[in-house]
Amino acid sequence: MISTTQAHPKRSLSLGRWIRPLVAVLVIAFILWRLWTILFVQQVYGAETWVRIGISGLILGGVYAVVALGYTLVYGILFMINFAHGDVMMLGAFAGYFTLEAFDAAGLLNRNLAWSIVCVATAFAAAMLVGMVAAILLERVAYRPLRTAPRLVPLISAIGASLFLENAAQLMFGTARHAYANPNVIGRDAGWVFIVNGKEVLVTYTGALTFVLSILLMIGLLILVKRTKMGKAMRAVAEDKDVAALMGIDVDRVISNSFAISGVLAGAAGVMWGLHIGIIYHYVGFIPGMKAFTAAVLGGIGNVAGAMLGGLVLGVLESLGPAALGVSFQLQDVVAFSILVLVLIFRPTGLLGEVLSEKKM
Amino acid sequence: MRTRILLVFALIATVVLAACCPKEKHECTDEWGCAVFEPGQTVKVAYVGPMTGPYAAFGTDISRGAELAVKANPDVEGFAFELVIEDTQGSGEQSASVANKLVADPRVVAVAGHTFSGSTLVAIPIYEEAGIPMMSPSTTLATFTQQGSEVYNRVAFSDALQAKKAAEYIYNVLGITKIVTVHDSDAYGQGLAEGVAAEFEDLGGEVLAIKATTQGSADYSAALADIAALSPELIYYGGYDADAALMVSQMAAAGLEGVVFFGCDGTYGVNYIDLAGDAAEGTYSTNVPIPPSDAFDQFKADYEAAYGDPQGKLSPFSPHGHDAAAVLLAAIDRVAIKDGNNLVIPRKGLAEEIRKTENFLGLTSGAITCDATGECGPQELVFMIVESGAWVEAPGQ
Amino acid sequence: MNIRSSLRGGFVSGFVSILAVLLGLTGLVGTIVQGWFGFRSQTPGAWALLLAIALWGGARAARSAEVEPWGRVLVAGLLAGALHGLLMAAFTWLVGSLIDSGVALRKWLAQLTPQAVELLTFGLSPAAAAAVVFAALAIGGLVGALLAQASTRYRWRQSLAQRWGTARERFEAVPAVKGFRQHRYSQQILYGAGLLVLLVAPLVLGKYWNYTVGTVGIYVMLGLGLNIVVGMAGLLDLGYAAFFAIGAYTIALLTAPEPHGVMVNFWLVLPLGIALASAAGVLLGIPVLRMRGDYLAIVTLGFGEIIRVLLKSDTLTSFTGGPQGVRAVGGPSILGFRADDRFYVYLIILGIALVAFLTYRLQHSRAGRAWMAMREDEDVAEVMGIYTLKYKLLAFAIGAGFAGLGGAIFAARNKYANPEDFALLASINVLSLVIIGGMGSIPGIILGALVLKGLPEILRQLEDYRMLAFGALLIVMMILRPEGLWPSKRRAMELHESVE
Repeated sequence: MISTTQAHPKRSLSLGRWIRPLVAVLVIAFILWRLWTILFVQQVYGAETWVRIGISGLILGGVYAVVALGYTLVYGILFMINFAHGDVMMLGAFAGYFTLEAFDAAGLLNRNLAWSIVCVATAFAAAMLVGMVAAILLERVAYRPLRTAPRLVPLISAIGASLFLENAAQLMFGTARHAYANPNVIGRDAGWVFIVNGKEVLVTYTGALTFVLSILLMIGLLILVKRTKMGKAMRAVAEDKDVAALMGIDVDRVISNSFAISGVLAGAAGVMWGLHIGIIYHYVGFIPGMKAFTAAVLGGIGNVAGAMLGGLVLGVLESLGPAALGVSFQLQDVVAFSILVLVLIFRPTGLLGEVLSEKKM
Repeated sequence: MRTRILLVFALIATVVLAACCPKEKHECTDEWGCAVFEPGQTVKVAYVGPMTGPYAAFGTDISRGAELAVKANPDVEGFAFELVIEDTQGSGEQSASVANKLVADPRVVAVAGHTFSGSTLVAIPIYEEAGIPMMSPSTTLATFTQQGSEVYNRVAFSDALQAKKAAEYIYNVLGITKIVTVHDSDAYGQGLAEGVAAEFEDLGGEVLAIKATTQGSADYSAALADIAALSPELIYYGGYDADAALMVSQMAAAGLEGVVFFGCDGTYGVNYIDLAGDAAEGTYSTNVPIPPSDAFDQFKADYEAAYGDPQGKLSPFSPHGHDAAAVLLAAIDRVAIKDGNNLVIPRKGLAEEIRKTENFLGLTSGAITCDATGECGPQELVFMIVESGAWVEAPGQ
Repeated sequence: MNIRSSLRGGFVSGFVSILAVLLGLTGLVGTIVQGWFGFRSQTPGAWALLLAIALWGGARAARSAEVEPWGRVLVAGLLAGALHGLLMAAFTWLVGSLIDSGVALRKWLAQLTPQAVELLTFGLSPAAAAAVVFAALAIGGLVGALLAQASTRYRWRQSLAQRWGTARERFEAVPAVKGFRQHRYSQQILYGAGLLVLLVAPLVLGKYWNYTVGTVGIYVMLGLGLNIVVGMAGLLDLGYAAFFAIGAYTIALLTAPEPHGVMVNFWLVLPLGIALASAAGVLLGIPVLRMRGDYLAIVTLGFGEIIRVLLKSDTLTSFTGGPQGVRAVGGPSILGFRADDRFYVYLIILGIALVAFLTYRLQHSRAGRAWMAMREDEDVAEVMGIYTLKYKLLAFAIGAGFAGLGGAIFAARNKYANPEDFALLASINVLSLVIIGGMGSIPGIILGALVLKGLPEILRQLEDYRMLAFGALLIVMMILRPEGLWPSKRRAMELHESVE
């Protein structure tokens, strides 16, 4: 008979049992202490600074959320981290860039309000198209042949795909940074001004557009997943691939569709990034990609609403974090990754819980 | 299995045998040895810089300047010069690897490089040991010439000078008393930010903080909001153009409207204005202007004809690359001796001759003169300001 | 073989050709061929590439297991070639016209230099050039199809394989070879000879090759260490460079004059470096013990990045030396003799021998078997009484220790430690060499290090395309041969079982 009760010596159980809560208490205590110091003792920042930081955090968070949606979609079905997702975003950004440059060269970009809107909309459309095509190709070439391989293999392939895309972009578009067009109507240096604590706080047009668009895309995706037939098929395949196939669902097509949707989202995120930040280059997708994955995990992987929430929360925490903890903004990335580590230790299912079939695990 | 081992073994053996070269024996009175060239062999001068990676624009641009210099001075005593271009990818590890590779090649007599201060740090001890002199077109870290190196030289100015002059300009001419200095966590930027802070405080000004950011950051809004909380009158930035452009374009939204942005020679150039757009208006930078000359006009024409890009687009340093290589070539011309049919170049003799360069007609200056510590760069620099989308000389100098 | 496959063949070739031009591959191949054969321009090489793609497209279109009538083959090949030609012709016409009308395409698509464009247009007008391109590639597709059909019809592939087989048999039947293979000690003799070459090599190779061999050696050490974590225990660690950094910085901070001025002897600090790296491995291991494979990967990646940013940060500059790194790191000295490049190669060889020996022993130990069981199915292993937590931590600790050793030697040899050397790319490099070389196999990892670190040194001409090729190689290897170039038999079995 196989005994399951004596699998581990008793010693370790008691050790493991109280280490986690101990660490949790220490971390929370540290954070509270720093917050107390910054907010009440030293009062380094006025209210307007907090508002500024918060706003920039929300905007960034919106972008992370849109990219995180793509990660979550793919992971929910294939249980695989699409490392090259950030690079799809980069390709979308470039597509939008070329579109805007072409319009600008033709003198249409700033002719009047209507034209400007058409130009920007076309840029978004182009980027979404490019993102979709890129994601579908990616799946066909790098992931489909490896569908049945152990987990490690498609992950390596994804890393290879990411390297390939980044370097191809570098070779094709050059190594220099590119400045994104700044149309007058949706400029990144003008916007709405609020008065907080006696000082001016600026919300740029691009920032507002980015945030609003993120929310719209998120809602759109939610509707797609919950209400449409395609969404239902995706959820079915995520639940159990084989049974779904038996039910007559074309699994290959569903997977292609999810990649396509994730590509569309990434492409849009790329243009948002380009318009708001203003500078793109071949490596621009890498860190946002990593952070977006962190956001997806934070919210609960496989969970669409979770990715949204995770993205926003991560954006805000990442921006506020260094300020709240009184450390240098150099450590912004450290804050982001630390959040990831802490979430995975204390609540691995994420804030809203995972929506994955436990059977697969 | 065994055949596999046999094959790999054969492969390794071939590599070893192929790479093995007998050392050349020759008589030479030079302390560091001599480079001997037989007829038909080329005299190699290397350029080392980031040819790939995020700052590949700098490497490409400066190497082109060096290439044009070699074209202008193609041989010595009938032996052709060969420019060997090596890529550091901006990393210290590659820098050491490249340096080791170059010192192992007996035909390399001088190095125009390296390009970035961080990678030069690693390379100097390697070249020092091998006795290969360097002429850097762009590294400005002050400590390089203060360590007693016998091989390091530069046609760029020293950051000790830049920091001092910048602090003086800000305090005296602009009349500003409260600043924040920011750097990009790189050796060059940090040296400058800290240098300016120290000098500024010596003058009596107030440095509210020295802040650090990360190279390649996409979003500085939070960091800038943090700085805005201190209400400085001016931000001094030590770093490179792409990051500076991003930072300056996000300043207004972060509450730093009206605050002066003061850059350094790393942020100077057409690229900066292209990337920052309207936000670049009113920012300062350091430059040693290339004095207008026929030679420079010719250089610009040659550059565009050969490479298709207008000179100055990728970076402002191609004339420096040209001068670094030109000074080296001229010094080689002076010390190379013909020994029968062979060409002999004494290494220490070359290093010393480089330091004796006087009034050399270059592009960056009509009279390049080197001192005993290896400083060949100009001792004067000029501050520039962006006005109506172009760099012009700042008033009050 | 049908319309669909022809169209697909043509379309893919067209796409690949356009990509090749945009990436500058045509120019690259043109330059290389020019160098080999001494042509006067890049055209022959570039067109060789394009025609090869056309041939391949046509061959794909006409691929079939049975013999087909020539007519059908003709049509299939022509169709594929025509599509390919059409795409490239359109591209050529577009580029040519845009440039003729003054648009500075080069500003946006960096590889479209005048030279590159001329490879396509031959200086003709866009329309004429397009026609030429179309015709050439259509014919290429046709020829490709014909060749493919000929291969099937006349069984070229089988006869080639047969000839190779017979040649091999004949070779092995030669008395000398046969005797060698059957000799009792032939394997040992080979190893012994290899060892001899290895011992003598540093004395004859120049400084540069010694340095390169040393670098490859350090990566072999790292690879063997990662092999324990990834290959044996099955834990995907993407932040391996962090342990590398810890080993390097321990040596650096304790032997360099700044920032601390504590100049301890290298040999005393070395075990400390290894120990600290191992401790870090355990510390990293504890929180990730129960994580799933992909999460583990991301967390370790995050950890690696955290270490790098911390090393570079302002807050810790007084401790770590900041972004400038630590200079003048002290090196080992034997009896007063300063270490030179040859000494380092010997030291590295010694290190590799030690690490390889330990790996071999571990593979055949209880720990090794435990890891094998955990790799297969963790839950079953737990149930069978294997204390997975302990073995996971052990894997992390040992793997990290090896990295610490590598890092210490790395810093001492470069006389410099810099945070940027321990970036994500370093971790990915090590992981790739383990994967490509062959997980779980010592000779495989050595081969992987040679391929990934040594080859680029030799092929410096392809500098710009190195990372591109790297990425493509990873994908291709995973599809065709995921167990690596020289895998251990066990891994090959494991991977192919699941792939099929």
